[in-house]
Amino acid sequence: MFNQLAGAQGNPNKDLEVTSPPDDTVSALEFSPPSLPQTFLVSGSWDCRVRCWEVEASGKTVPKAVQTMDGPILDVAWHDDGSKIFMASTDKSVKCWDLASNQSIQVAAHEAPVKTCHWIKAPNYTCLMTASWDKTLKFWDTRSAVPIMNMNLSERCYCADVDYPLAVVGTADRGICLYTLEGKPAEFKRVESPLKHQLRCIAIFRDKKSKQPTGFALGSVEGRVAIQYVNPANPKDNFTFKCHRPPATTGGYQDIYAVNDIAFHPAHGTLATVGSDGSFSFWDKDARTRLKSSEMLDQPLTKCAFNHNGQIFAYAVGYDWSKGHEHFNPAKKNFIYLRACYDDLKPRST
Amino acid sequence: MGRKKKKASKPWCWYCNREFDDEKILIQHQKAKHFKCHICHKKLYTGPGLSIHCMQVHKEAIDKVPNSLPNRSNIEIEIYGMEGIPPEDVKEHEKQKSGGGKGSDSDDDEPAAKKKATPALLGPGPSQVTQGILPTPMGPVPPGMYPGPMQSMQMQMMPPFMQAPRMMMPGMRPLFPAASMPPTSTSKPTFPAYSIYGSLSSGSNTAYYSNATISAPPTTTTPSSASEAKENGDVKPPAANVCPLVTATGAGSKIVHPPEDVSLDEIRARAPRYKPKPKPDQPAHHHHHHHQPALMSPSTSQAEVWVAAHMSAAVAAARQQQCAALRRGVLGGVVSVLGGGGLVPGGGGLVPGGGALVQRAPVSVAQMPPVVPMLPVMPQFNLVRPLQPGMLLPGGMMPMGAMFPGGMAGLPVMQPRYR
Repeated sequence: MFNQLAGAQGNPNKDLEVTSPPDDTVSALEFSPPSLPQTFLVSGSWDCRVRCWEVEASGKTVPKAVQTMDGPILDVAWHDDGSKIFMASTDKSVKCWDLASNQSIQVAAHEAPVKTCHWIKAPNYTCLMTASWDKTLKFWDTRSAVPIMNMNLSERCYCADVDYPLAVVGTADRGICLYTLEGKPAEFKRVESPLKHQLRCIAIFRDKKSKQPTGFALGSVEGRVAIQYVNPANPKDNFTFKCHRPPATTGGYQDIYAVNDIAFHPAHGTLATVGSDGSFSFWDKDARTRLKSSEMLDQPLTKCAFNHNGQIFAYAVGYDWSKGHEHFNPAKKNFIYLRACYDDLKPRST
Repeated sequence: MGRKKKKASKPWCWYCNREFDDEKILIQHQKAKHFKCHICHKKLYTGPGLSIHCMQVHKEAIDKVPNSLPNRSNIEIEIYGMEGIPPEDVKEHEKQKSGGGKGSDSDDDEPAAKKKATPALLGPGPSQVTQGILPTPMGPVPPGMYPGPMQSMQMQMMPPFMQAPRMMMPGMRPLFPAASMPPTSTSKPTFPAYSIYGSLSSGSNTAYYSNATISAPPTTTTPSSASEAKENGDVKPPAANVCPLVTATGAGSKIVHPPEDVSLDEIRARAPRYKPKPKPDQPAHHHHHHHQPALMSPSTSQAEVWVAAHMSAAVAAARQQQCAALRRGVLGGVVSVLGGGGLVPGGGGLVPGGGALVQRAPVSVAQMPPVVPMLPVMPQFNLVRPLQPGMLLPGGMMPMGAMFPGGMAGLPVMQPRYR
């Protein structure tokens, strides 16, 4: 209802539309790593496909390749060298898509749909981290059918992020577990979610000076983001803020929407959130201010990503099930938009 | 003692589920947000008070408490601060709080702040200030149960737990806020009111303490209910309530999320259309099938076979230069196909090219001992890659090489994977 009212036109922010978008909602969106000279964008979607585009400097997008899995895709991750893409699916497997050969092969398996996959590149090892609704977190040498390491989660994995040497996993029942990846992956500590509602997304941020991962941002279904430091110098450093709560409309009730994704700007350390309300916002967590809020789109935003140098912000538009299956309209097109964002995300002061 | 347990949780507003550090603030909030007359902006003290005010002064009927959650809009229930909240809702709230977060942080902070706050707050609470107005911990009082106008008098003498139904009488209505609470009525501004309460409460300790006991019952029940829930291992029921009920904003609000406290993705994945069923077309099916065993163990030679198969497939499927591309060419082929046909139809454009590949792949896999697959591919990274440069040069490979130079770079990385 709200959605129909809001955006009359599909692209109120006048951003660049990615050509040949997925046929169903985007569930994963990742830019290629800096190891590649060109910029590629990869999406995973509910139509069981993973798509790859090349993004030219002009903003033009050229479809490059597609892979299909046996179930909807829940996450994708790039190999650090940009040669491969890992794809996690509800079919309980993760496949490795070798771009050069365009072949995909299973590299990980779980007992339930795999919610996240992340490539870990440590000085002394590399591996694939996968987390699933089967309440396990596994680390894989992609050449072996058996995980190198298998850890139990307190609950089903809902979100995860990796930035060596830190990994974080958010689960159902508001669990958060931190892992250190130094030497080898090891559970570091479990913390209570500062948010009172279901976790939806999590993103690690780095310290401004040391450039080392120092904390993470959590998004919940209750339109709220928590900024948490792993070792806060001052307890006051941790805080939460509200977002994705459009002004009350009819009836005087305010609709509160899920924070569907959070991404940190690789250069500025500021962050972007996208919400089920159909908007994205840019924030400066240090100044605790909002840098920008977008126009409202007519569908939820499900995922977002920055390219490696922070010039491009990509966000995906499609139904996220927040109003149940009744509101799903398969005829409605899905979109991915690109936006030049470098200046928008500059911290306010400095 | 019940009081102490209560301190573990912050005062919260029944109407909107918002939490406050201090019950004073909560009461201010309620007056400003939920009990304010939308016509003359007079701040009343309870939902029924507001309703009566509007009816009598403005001749308007109010059926809902302003800015309240949809399920908490009952204007008949008398709630003042934390007093009068239906016990089941107290339990529910407590359950959610304890179930979700033992809220270490907030709890730590709270005791101190709250200890100070409570005496003052509770004192003024029901017995003194709001005699006749305040509801009881017993929960919502049926309208029919209005006690007599004498109530305020009786209250002082009654044991706390007897103070139950304290709705105002119809007769009292016009006077309601003012009459029943003389001290308050003079000082409408919320703050002053409290200072008055404070002094009052100090005057009559008996009533003061009795209040404390009154509030105890709900408190004591809550922890037990919470633990019960846990023992049952009943994750779902409480969880299910989380979404619709828990809304931590000041105004009436609602979380746009299915009632069940399960991720959107899980809910979505249940839909028949998303069941990862083996696809009707053999390619995917076989693919899947064979890959499972594939995980087991691979062999280099097979990998090559597989690669070769892919290559031939690529050749067959793609046209012209793409064909030449062989390994890398596959992608090239796909790309060109895509470029021409467009991705839109999904893999539509791909299907011809890529589809063929997929089909082939399974076949070749099938030829392998069931135990093999995984390694084949990975070695491929190591073994095959090095060959690529040579292989690629001839065809339209160059562009591909340029596209994914990473492949080469990857080599060194892939090697040391002993952890």
